[in-house]
Amino acid sequence: MKTLVKYEFLKILRKKSTFIVMTVSLLLTVFLFGLPILQYQTYNADGVIKGLDGIAYTKEQYSQISVPLTDEYISETIREVQELFENPDNVGFDGTDQFLIGDAYWNDIAPREELLKTIASTYAAPGVTAWYSSLPDVDIANGANFYQAREEKIAALLNDSSRGLSDEQKEYWQNMNSQVETPFQYGYYEGWLTINTCFELLMFAIVAVCIVLAPVFSGEYQAGTDAVILSGKYGKTKLTTAKIIASYLFGLLAFTIHILVAFGLPLAAFGVDGWNLPMQIAGTSIPYPFTFLQGILVNLGVIYFVLFAMIGLTLVLSSKMRSPYLVLIVLVPVLFIPMFLSANGTTGVYNLTLFLLPYYAVQPQFGSYISYQLGSLVLDAFSTRTILYAVLTVCMLPLAKLGFKKHQVL
Amino acid sequence: MELQLQHLCKQYGSKCAVDDISVNLVPGVYGLLGANGAGKTTLMRMICGILKPTSGSIRLNGKTMQELGEQYYTHLGYMPQDFGFYPDFTAREFMLYMAAVKGLSSKEARTKTEKLLDMVNLHDMADKKIKSYSGGMKQRLGIAQTELNDPSILILDEPTAGLDPKERVRFRNIISDFAKEKIVILSTHIVSDVSYIADAILMMKQGRFLLQEPMSTVTDGIRGKVWEVLVDDRRADEYSRRFCVVNLHHENNKVRLRIVNEAAPAADAYTVEPSLEDLFLYHFGEEVQNERGGYDENAG
Repeated sequence: MKTLVKYEFLKILRKKSTFIVMTVSLLLTVFLFGLPILQYQTYNADGVIKGLDGIAYTKEQYSQISVPLTDEYISETIREVQELFENPDNVGFDGTDQFLIGDAYWNDIAPREELLKTIASTYAAPGVTAWYSSLPDVDIANGANFYQAREEKIAALLNDSSRGLSDEQKEYWQNMNSQVETPFQYGYYEGWLTINTCFELLMFAIVAVCIVLAPVFSGEYQAGTDAVILSGKYGKTKLTTAKIIASYLFGLLAFTIHILVAFGLPLAAFGVDGWNLPMQIAGTSIPYPFTFLQGILVNLGVIYFVLFAMIGLTLVLSSKMRSPYLVLIVLVPVLFIPMFLSANGTTGVYNLTLFLLPYYAVQPQFGSYISYQLGSLVLDAFSTRTILYAVLTVCMLPLAKLGFKKHQVL
Repeated sequence: MELQLQHLCKQYGSKCAVDDISVNLVPGVYGLLGANGAGKTTLMRMICGILKPTSGSIRLNGKTMQELGEQYYTHLGYMPQDFGFYPDFTAREFMLYMAAVKGLSSKEARTKTEKLLDMVNLHDMADKKIKSYSGGMKQRLGIAQTELNDPSILILDEPTAGLDPKERVRFRNIISDFAKEKIVILSTHIVSDVSYIADAILMMKQGRFLLQEPMSTVTDGIRGKVWEVLVDDRRADEYSRRFCVVNLHHENNKVRLRIVNEAAPAADAYTVEPSLEDLFLYHFGEEVQNERGGYDENAG
């Protein structure tokens, strides 16, 4: 079996098309995951600071605010902003909103604008994005009650009738949320945020792996080698298993290289700082009790399952179709059509199905409260996706084996 | 060793590619002859277990293919027509890969590979990629892989197609070397290849066996039906249209025609010793002539 796997792996690896597809895909990954670095920009009173200089400047700013977000700290922060707004010389007005100008903005707001946005959003109604300019409206006479405000916001979010969550689902989310530790430790997390927002771009890597693996069976039919190998002793048995193992080995290896590039670039540029910070500092209503590293790894785990299922589907199609092109004609739409569909909520059959399709399944949506209920069993999106794609993988493999075993050389 | 084909049929929709074939094969070289589309390749694929018969059975020493399972395939060596290679493999890698597919141990595989590559004269090129090989070299590699598992049934589908005469002779000799104590089924439309090495002839037409005869007596049926006649140059065309002319030779201003026909094509025609090619054209002349442009159907 080892020899068969070795040669099947070599067959995949030595094809010129493998080299071309993998090179293009890796270059695309470098470009897509390098783009946020190249396009990164921040501002200070002197103007725009771009790229690596901008990143270094932001890091420096965050060093001042890498603190636990205690109620006292938040009260103090809100009070500072409110006091700034009390001085008319600091305040500008664009006809709709008031905002701070001059030194008040550049010295006291700009260095911690993200933090202020996080705080302000906690007091805002669900679905409403708030900025530092809404902080003067927050009543801190009896303290900030920041974590109480967060709980109330999550409760409002869960009870929103448009979400249509069942009691079991609400309880599930409340239980999960209760595991989130407070107070949140704040700090710099730009590298992890970049990865989190770019997950969907890994679809290209999945497609590239599928393109390379499309000829695993159908390529034999197309080249006319099927007759010889299928008439060998292990042609219909061990060889099929070897092909599947080699395909998964290649898929795992190729995709992991993509991941290393995709994650390595932002982490090298933005730094690994923030890996141990709670995800809630990027969105306080996130119910998952994960640090950034944990969250990224959980979603990465899901993506690997999506990859395995897509490899399985590719192999099934490959075992049934007489040309790798036909395999891709079926496969590419499965992977990319969901890209053009958009969700109109987080409940209902349409939305819940959409969130399970490959393109959406690779996106974490940590703050979306997507859950699936079977009787009294409630599962979050990550668990459901993992189970679904694991089941699909397990179902696809015997089908691929059977497809090749039953193949008729016409 | 006995390979029994019992009432073997293969139907594609309403077309019957193989129609109720029954034969018992014992060790020897069988030349499988037939025009294009006669069902030769379909029959061989069914014997190799890569095409399921619509009905009928294949038995090896009394046991069906299903009963034997993987064991059946250990007896097989198959070289299909126009089969693809892995262009990025070297000949040695290809042989080692095929040895693994055929279930040989690593040690056995290495020994056999070296021996066979030597036998087919590819040893010096063993580490070159197959994409750099000529057609003849690929064919030699193709036959070499059939021998890896020392099969007792060797099935060769058009093994000499596309080879130049020198390569064909070399190839025939290789097949003869490999054929000892085996059931060898050799399909070809190059009749001379078969006539040199076959012990028996199986002739197929429209999915059926037209004849199954030992080589020594295969042409007996057309004895007295093969004629030669010397005609004027200008009449040669007319003869070609009317009769199945198997050979045409210019001699001064005359043409010597070799004709396969039930009756004498001319008063001065005389019978000659029939060959396998005459036999082939006797049965398939119509198809061959149709490809060439046809002859008068009422002539014979």
